[in-house]
Amino acid sequence: MSLLQKPWIWSWIGTLAVCLVIIGISGLGAGTQVLSAALSFGTFFVIVAIGQMFVVTLGPGNVDLSIPACMTLASTVAMKVMGGSSTMLLPGLLIAIAIGTIIGLLNFGLIRLLRIPPIIATLSSSFLFQSTAIWYNRGLRVKPPEPLADFATAKLAGVPLLAILVLVLTVIMHVILHHSLFGRAVLAVGQNSRAASLAGIKVERTRLLTYLTSAVLAAICGFFLAGFSGGAALNMGEEYLLMSIAVVVIGGTSVAGGFANLPGLWGASLFMFLLVTMLNTLGLSAGIRLILTGAIIVGVIAISGRRGRT
Amino acid sequence: MMNKTITLTGVALACLMGTTAIADTADKRIALSNNYAGNSWRQAMLTSWETVTGQAVADGTVAAADAFTTAENQVTEQAAQIQNLILQGYDAIVINAASPEGLNGAVKEACDAGVVVVSFDGIVTEPCAWRIAVDFHEMGKVQVEYLATRLPDGGDLLEIRGLAGVFVDDAISGGIHEGVSENSQFAIKGSVHGNWAQDVSQKAVAGILPSLPEIKGVVTQGGDGYGAAQAFKAAGRDMPIIVMGNRQDELAWWKEQKDATDYQTMSVSIAPGVSTLAFWVAQQVLDGKDVPKDLTVPFLTITQDTLEDNLATTQEGGVANVEYSLEDAQSVINEAM
Repeated sequence: MSLLQKPWIWSWIGTLAVCLVIIGISGLGAGTQVLSAALSFGTFFVIVAIGQMFVVTLGPGNVDLSIPACMTLASTVAMKVMGGSSTMLLPGLLIAIAIGTIIGLLNFGLIRLLRIPPIIATLSSSFLFQSTAIWYNRGLRVKPPEPLADFATAKLAGVPLLAILVLVLTVIMHVILHHSLFGRAVLAVGQNSRAASLAGIKVERTRLLTYLTSAVLAAICGFFLAGFSGGAALNMGEEYLLMSIAVVVIGGTSVAGGFANLPGLWGASLFMFLLVTMLNTLGLSAGIRLILTGAIIVGVIAISGRRGRT
Repeated sequence: MMNKTITLTGVALACLMGTTAIADTADKRIALSNNYAGNSWRQAMLTSWETVTGQAVADGTVAAADAFTTAENQVTEQAAQIQNLILQGYDAIVINAASPEGLNGAVKEACDAGVVVVSFDGIVTEPCAWRIAVDFHEMGKVQVEYLATRLPDGGDLLEIRGLAGVFVDDAISGGIHEGVSENSQFAIKGSVHGNWAQDVSQKAVAGILPSLPEIKGVVTQGGDGYGAAQAFKAAGRDMPIIVMGNRQDELAWWKEQKDATDYQTMSVSIAPGVSTLAFWVAQQVLDGKDVPKDLTVPFLTITQDTLEDNLATTQEGGVANVEYSLEDAQSVINEAM
């Protein structure tokens, strides 16, 4: 298969094009700084998008809408428990992961035991988690411990440390998706769950692990985002709902399920950040910016979708 | 000394008013219809409502003051909620509305049923309702006027806007642009949407910053100043004058900078306790007082000199707040007469 037929290539072509426009407007020096910022912020999109990608790949109707609430709840509780103290860092991280685990189990419980469609199940459970976060800390912003803030914003030779770690995570998830039993089971279930089940794949266990992965990654993302931006806020997850889905789709993962890839998540995350930055830099009004953002996303999906089928 | 006199007068007034109020509104029930609770400002707003109205109910000023919040921030949902409140027989409904026009039908129904409707912050345009509006336009303009006193030679500005498509965003931004056109030494070199959230602002500013010349001042809408400061710091740029929006993390950062480098700025926003002002206005209307339909909320402005006091009284991670009393409401009403 030639490079141009890879489903993820279009998000990278888009990223490159937007990058060139930004360099054209503001010069090479500014361009590299923008790229560094894109890596900083794109990293957070990638973390949640990995989880969302696995869920979407399970097939039609599978999507995790509780990602924003999970991020908010995990980071709110973790920040308050740590209370800015650096000795509590590890317990804080473990609590965030534990909350992600519980949320993943709850989501799957609703879907499996109560037979609620995933969209409804994760949407309604997200009200529960968001309300718990409101009740727990009333929207007060607790500062992260100093070492966490330093770690989340640290850079190695201009490249954000977190981006490097998430890149390693991406490679691991790539191997899991394409070479492990679990990853291949996810793809098989997404292509035809009945056939997968007849072939001896444990469909429900695969679904459980997938929703668990998504929730745990969302919790970890919330934890580091709070460290990065100076605290957890009730509305911190808001834009991650549409963004996680957009990044998955633009990255060339099939919305119908069964086909996924990880390189596209990075391309799409950088693309989404750079696109908004480019339109901001051009000084366009909000209305035109939103119209262009929508039109460009549709364009990229249309092109990558067409290539993907041939 | 001065302060003491004012407090004493206030207490005396409150006692006086308290007794008159009990006579007429002791059996009245007031409801709060709120469209959104998902940020620290709204949480402070609800807490203030609870504190002040809880006391008023305990004092026998009104019979009940219950708060209701819709889950989805949807106009249809809030309209249904208002209809329920009418059926439940509340005498007054205080509204923070999801839309200026969308609720007009439900508000008209309430008025027709003899219910007093007082809208605040998110106001409604239906003429039968009272409006406690914020002069958002002026809130934008005062920022530029402040910068003009600090930077007589002017310079380039960065504007952080709120949520695109919300009228508050247009109003504040309109005020800022009017201020800039009247002070031609300033030019807005960049404009981003920060959605009134620190992390979104941080991201937007970090993206546009590399393409901007030296920025002298940052004009904001509240909830975005700390994120902007983080982005300037991460980019290694000189810290401009960032107008803050009364959030505790913004004030704490300002205090840090003030102690370290004598950093000077200002902070302006609306106190979340405006919900309690609306409560007292509703109580006054129920009491049969003649209250003009359009009232204006005073800003809560924090300056270099009042920073420490305000920081000390603001809950960690919260928003600088003022809870209004009956006499505050009366002076706002009298000003509008």
